[in-house]
Amino acid sequence: MTPRRRRALLAWLFMLPLVAVNALVVLGPSLSAVYYSFTDWSGIGAAKWIGLDNYVELLGDAEFRSALWHNIQWTIFFLVVPMTMGLFGAFALSRIRRFRLLFRVVYFLPYVVASVVTAAIWKNLLSPDVGLGATLGVNFLGSQALSLPSVAFINNWAWWGFLVVVFLAAMQGVNPNLYEAAALDGAGPLRQFWSITLPSIQPTFVFLGLMTIIWSFLSFDYVFVLTQGGPAGATDVLSTLLYREAFASLRAGYASAVGIVMALISAVVVAAYLVIRRKRGWAV
Amino acid sequence: MPLSRRNVLALTGAAALAPLLASCGSDTGRDLQYWAAFSDRQQRDYFRRERVDAFQGTLKVRLTVKPTDSIDRLTQTALAAGAGPDLVQAAGPAQLGAYAAAGYLLPLDDYARRYGWESMLAPWAMAASRVGGRLLALPGDFEGMFLVYNPATLERHGWPVPTSRAEFEAICTEAKAKGLMPVAAGNADWRAATEWWVTFALNHSAGPDAVYSALQGRTPWTDPVFVDAISLLNDYYQRGWWGGGVDAYFTNTFPGLYAALAAGTAVFMINGTWATTEIGPYFGAAAGNDATWDWAPLFPLRDGVPAQVLDLAIGESLSINAHSRNPDATAEYLHFLESDPQRQARGIAEASLQPAPVPLTAADFPPTVDERLSRLYTWLSTPATVGYTTWTFFPQQTDTDLYTNFDKVITGQLTVPEYLAGLDEVFRGELAAGKVPVAPAPTGVAR
Repeated sequence: MTPRRRRALLAWLFMLPLVAVNALVVLGPSLSAVYYSFTDWSGIGAAKWIGLDNYVELLGDAEFRSALWHNIQWTIFFLVVPMTMGLFGAFALSRIRRFRLLFRVVYFLPYVVASVVTAAIWKNLLSPDVGLGATLGVNFLGSQALSLPSVAFINNWAWWGFLVVVFLAAMQGVNPNLYEAAALDGAGPLRQFWSITLPSIQPTFVFLGLMTIIWSFLSFDYVFVLTQGGPAGATDVLSTLLYREAFASLRAGYASAVGIVMALISAVVVAAYLVIRRKRGWAV
Repeated sequence: MPLSRRNVLALTGAAALAPLLASCGSDTGRDLQYWAAFSDRQQRDYFRRERVDAFQGTLKVRLTVKPTDSIDRLTQTALAAGAGPDLVQAAGPAQLGAYAAAGYLLPLDDYARRYGWESMLAPWAMAASRVGGRLLALPGDFEGMFLVYNPATLERHGWPVPTSRAEFEAICTEAKAKGLMPVAAGNADWRAATEWWVTFALNHSAGPDAVYSALQGRTPWTDPVFVDAISLLNDYYQRGWWGGGVDAYFTNTFPGLYAALAAGTAVFMINGTWATTEIGPYFGAAAGNDATWDWAPLFPLRDGVPAQVLDLAIGESLSINAHSRNPDATAEYLHFLESDPQRQARGIAEASLQPAPVPLTAADFPPTVDERLSRLYTWLSTPATVGYTTWTFFPQQTDTDLYTNFDKVITGQLTVPEYLAGLDEVFRGELAAGKVPVAPAPTGVAR
């Protein structure tokens, strides 16, 4: 055996446990989910093959369309609001020297608090009986119009600090000479941000955008704890619909079809990112 | 093999590990395995003492406590793997049907004859424990619905305990005008709570006969009698009687509602027997107030509906695992759990355990019992017309659509006819697929 082949074999041997675990806990369930999406299955016992019926039903399902639309709104919100806040927060932090670490910790702290705890705290804060809702006379989580933005706001409260820290790390990799040269040419902070910072951290920016889209379509915890998809479906997203179909309606086959659609959406986003990355030659 | 020091060490280690590993297994061979979940530590300890350790049967029972919110899924997974406990707990008839279709459960008809279960347990609950003509479970516990109120609130405003729709509506109108919440209701903690009140409307406005006929597939859910019932309930919501208003309804929590009832800012609550385990901390010394609560039967909302309709449900079903190595001993333990009215009454009095549906009289209860509880369960044992709770007698998808879509009726996204047409379509599909649980005929079969 040549040294090169031996090295390759050794590499595969090291990877083998991971590949085995991955096949067991990711690939196996994924393939079974694809299979069950073509069946009428309660989640208990044998499944009955029904071909494309679940997918045909999805097309005409008003609850599915509503949940998908909420996911799209959710994604747009998270692509705009926290990304903007994260960028400007990181840029502001990159301009200061004193207390930078303190601010990083403060911004990051909500991200490490369990989502269930954060959601429970905000549920009380926004309560129409004793919280901010009572003071303002607004029922944030009971209103059809306000519930989805309210849940997104709470999720963003915990999320944007994470973006600040990641963007700040990327900004610290930007060559400081560029800022010096720009300052000598009379460029102000905003101009420097627009012409130096943003182009320099573009791969990180696009990567986080990609992850935001994927995570937005998987969002579940905040919605479930705060509203369980209510009031009257106003915050229902694909994951809460999937949960309800699988565990309340005992329609695991149909829920699998919802899950496959969610996976396909993520796959399209990842594929688009990979194409862009190859064209631009990014390392991230 | 030479007996080297290394081999001696290996053999000693293996000998020490063998019993340890054996004890980790789910089946110790000669113990009965039972998985159960409890609402609190007091209930768990009481059950272990009075219902596990006290059992002097052929085999010893090994109780494994599981989390309330995951016991169903853990049981499903174990059953699918051909394992699981000897005594299988299911969340009522709809789940029972799915387990039965998968062949996970042992038919109990022979044991029923041997132990006389048919005459021991309530006929409505036994009927709902059958799948395809075979008895596949016993009703582990049962639930009933009633009206809860604070006597001081009614007395302060000069209101009677309502026994008719007219009295109820008059009080609600007056209470709303005074800024009170007529009916303490909300689904922030439990979205499915909406079905409690749909159950009330269906059984007390449309009536048990109409519901039974619909469950048999003879009357469509779009029938005017159901349109009237759902429209009436929707009207109550639109008047702000349920939870104080539609928006508030979606954010009202159970602790807040119990507290409102105790404070006199809410007048009534339409709830089930499970509420008796939750309501205590909000009234009296435990809450630092002098408030009390009491209950009354629910009343008819339409002429022609019987005055006494008991809205009954099976909280949990108990079956024997088809893979059990000890089915006879499991049946013996099942009989122990279900029999003896005095044991059931003690469980209510001492640990707020929901009883099996055996007939209870006041004499069955110990002298220490809360009089309201003995009165409640004695009432639920009286012969009366069965009311069909949606979570026991409706198939799973119909039930889920029933409460998720009713929320859309009260928010104006669906009209009542649209709601019922959708419900009827889903129900027809489940009826054709044989997924509708068995329902007893309504008249006079509560006992």
